[in-house]
Amino acid sequence: MKDRIEQVLKKFASQVDYLEVHLEETEESRVTFTGPQLTDLGKKVDFGGNVRALNKGGWGFASFNSVDRIDEFAQYAIDQAVLTGKDKSQLAPVEPVVADVGLDLKSDPREVSLEKKVETMRAYNDRVLGAHELIASSSTRCYDRYHQRWFGSSEGAMVYQERVDVGGMVAAMAAKDGDTQTHWVPFGSSDDFGVAYGHEDAIDEACRLAVEKLDVPKVKGGQYTVVLDPRLAGVFVHEAFGHLSEGDNVYEDKNLQKVMVLGREFGQPFLNIYDTGRDKGLRGYLVYDDEGVPTEKTYLIEEGKLVGRLHSRETAGKMGERATGNARNIDYRYPPVCRMRNTVIQPGDSSFDDMVAGTKLGVYAIMASGGQTNGEMFTFTAGNAYMIRDGKLAEMVRDVTLTGNVFQTLKDIDMIGDDLGIHDGPGGCGKAGQFPLPVSDGSPHVRIQNVVIGGE
Amino acid sequence: MREIIEKAQAKGAGQCEVFYFSSLNTEVEYEASKLKNVANNEQTGYALRLIKDGRLGFATTTKAGGLDRLVDDALATAASGDTVDYGFAPRSDVREVPTIDPSVTELSIEDMMKRSEDAIAKVLDYESEINASSGTNRKQQTVSVCTSEGFEGTQERTLYQFYITGSLIEGDNMLDCGSVYSGTAMDDGGDALTDKTIEDIRNGRTNVSVSTGPTTVILTPRAVSDVLLTLIYGVNGSMVDRKVSPLTGRIGETIFDERISLFDDGSMETGYSSALFDDEGVPMQRTPIIENGVLRSFLTDLRTGTRLDMPLTGNGLKLKRLVQTKELGQMPSPEVTNWRMAGGEKPFAELLSEVGDGVMVDSVMGIMMGNLVAGDFSGNVEYGLKVEDGEIKGRVKDTMIAGNVYKLFKDDLVALSKEVVRTGLMGFIGSHEYPYVVLSDVSISSKS
Repeated sequence: MKDRIEQVLKKFASQVDYLEVHLEETEESRVTFTGPQLTDLGKKVDFGGNVRALNKGGWGFASFNSVDRIDEFAQYAIDQAVLTGKDKSQLAPVEPVVADVGLDLKSDPREVSLEKKVETMRAYNDRVLGAHELIASSSTRCYDRYHQRWFGSSEGAMVYQERVDVGGMVAAMAAKDGDTQTHWVPFGSSDDFGVAYGHEDAIDEACRLAVEKLDVPKVKGGQYTVVLDPRLAGVFVHEAFGHLSEGDNVYEDKNLQKVMVLGREFGQPFLNIYDTGRDKGLRGYLVYDDEGVPTEKTYLIEEGKLVGRLHSRETAGKMGERATGNARNIDYRYPPVCRMRNTVIQPGDSSFDDMVAGTKLGVYAIMASGGQTNGEMFTFTAGNAYMIRDGKLAEMVRDVTLTGNVFQTLKDIDMIGDDLGIHDGPGGCGKAGQFPLPVSDGSPHVRIQNVVIGGE
Repeated sequence: MREIIEKAQAKGAGQCEVFYFSSLNTEVEYEASKLKNVANNEQTGYALRLIKDGRLGFATTTKAGGLDRLVDDALATAASGDTVDYGFAPRSDVREVPTIDPSVTELSIEDMMKRSEDAIAKVLDYESEINASSGTNRKQQTVSVCTSEGFEGTQERTLYQFYITGSLIEGDNMLDCGSVYSGTAMDDGGDALTDKTIEDIRNGRTNVSVSTGPTTVILTPRAVSDVLLTLIYGVNGSMVDRKVSPLTGRIGETIFDERISLFDDGSMETGYSSALFDDEGVPMQRTPIIENGVLRSFLTDLRTGTRLDMPLTGNGLKLKRLVQTKELGQMPSPEVTNWRMAGGEKPFAELLSEVGDGVMVDSVMGIMMGNLVAGDFSGNVEYGLKVEDGEIKGRVKDTMIAGNVYKLFKDDLVALSKEVVRTGLMGFIGSHEYPYVVLSDVSISSKS
């Protein structure tokens, strides 16, 4: 593969300012139970590549499955870059990396038989379906992927990386009188198929919560003090600040640059947020990004102030900042764009008990079913939740979707716990049509004032 | 494709189904008013489903020369696979739906650039501080399905997409508006989309507050498609088969106000999801889902149609979750094609003046994460306007909307507009037509 990449670079690189070639092969296996049926047991082989050319600031890109026609696609990408470019190319300088990154696995999913994967998921699925008479259905799935990626650039980089991605989820669906409530157990890893085992107790708890939610009132809409558990706070930081930190939002927008100026205060002095590719085992673990740039631990907020952004080489180059190793694509079909890796609120010194004790009327929101942002405003949705009344956890409520505003909500974080939790699931992040990208997020418990929750 | 079936059957497979997919996609992207990227995407691959000893196997490959491995992988999964109670598609005559349009095949990159450039110029002419982006995408797609049971079909489709977005940041206030068109043929120009985007920016530049409580809400056609994500789950044959849809067993019952009629139309002219047959070789069709408020049908694929003993509706599609692009490696499942809701009596302008006070909601963020299957939705009003005395007063922010579609569309429907508007959602497949929908007593919660 490296030879093929070198041939293309040698033949075409002189025509443009910068040229890179990606090749990628992925093998995947999937097990999905839908109710009692094993609806998808599948294997996938995916092989393809892309050529990306930069000339006078304009990009040309061609992705393909027909790898034997790579020269034709390379010429296409170059022609389009030449057509597009009218300015100047600005990539942040990096030392070209030549490296092979092999696997260092705790448990290799490829060594686990398909039968064993099916039986493990079947046992979970049967456990859900037999848990309670009100459990109407289940959704139980796991997948594992083995990726090989080759990357070469006209600057002399040549990086071969092997990666593994494992994920899954066991969901229990309870139904009564036309109402359906779901609860679930997610898992994920980049180095250990072992995360698929040992969820029996969590599954029993998920079944119990799904059934319990059938008889629980919807939360009353309004503005509350909220305490978020680490899973939901992780989604919160991803949506509330991670996306706005992505350099491609900022680098071409002078009005946004004024808003996102380094040094601006976004939170109180005890708020620290970072994004890192260096936490081995997490799904957001990444040694080199998809431009061959080494990843790092990048602080976004330190002591409440904006200190950094998540950059590709181009966004860093145009803003005169450092490339941070955040250029990522979900696969060879797409060009890399600025994306998160593992985004974390750094622990503080508050205790969960103090957060609840100091809240007169509030909501304790647990587990995440996801979130979304448009830059300024964001939403995130809890799996289950309890009212806090007079400093004590009170009755359960459901359908808790929270919203915030980046310029206010981070400032409204008034307590950060000392109990960091980083959890992985099977999904990922979506942006620019690229979903799901493996990312992780984490946080301790946090308390936030004045959060709007939708409800009746 | 026959050759793959022969290979599999020589190794002991019974029924087989081969799905072949190839596409060539060209996209021109403008970012911050400048030409940013021209991209070309070539995809080709095979999926094989087979039944061996009564068990289902499934494998896919995009690797040239990988067909022997494909057969072996499918047989390996069949060894652990589930017993299967349906067969693959038999021979059938598929009706002609025009899905090749020369306006797309003949579209040059220069034409595509001009479309986006014109749209951006128009937006900047309104306000030069806007950060405008635009893209034009043309695609040629070939799908073939061949089964051991006699179905053999190949269809070529052209697909066209155009979008224009404008982002205006004034101080800490961010306003993003945009419009998208998608179909099997070109629209008659991006002008209307651009005008709509400018109008939205103009109306949204002033922020106004709104109070928490039950509120009269006008859902724009785009917001109707957000809210109907709930019903997409409700009428999905798989959710019905699992008895988690609240509509389970309710065919023939009145579930919505009698003024509401809704069709899934896989034969809609120029509809983005229109095709001759679905990804299992079942002919696509126009399926009444709700007629005058009465539930008429669920959407099925081969598996769920057989299990529910219901007619096949041609909705077995291989789509990637959330982004809803065609995905080779996805098992077919019941998916929406193009949804069309009938309009009402009065024009929108008249409804607006009759509403008096309320909120016009155009897009809802975060709705995907809610308990959609139960009909519940809750999300941030990403773009919504306050209406006072029938006049638009400005944008509401930091505001949530919540409700249950089975209650609101049954008990709280005020009116549907006469106009039905074709709406495309960025990232969602299909071309959908909805009227404006006026609802009373919708829960709105806002920052105080």
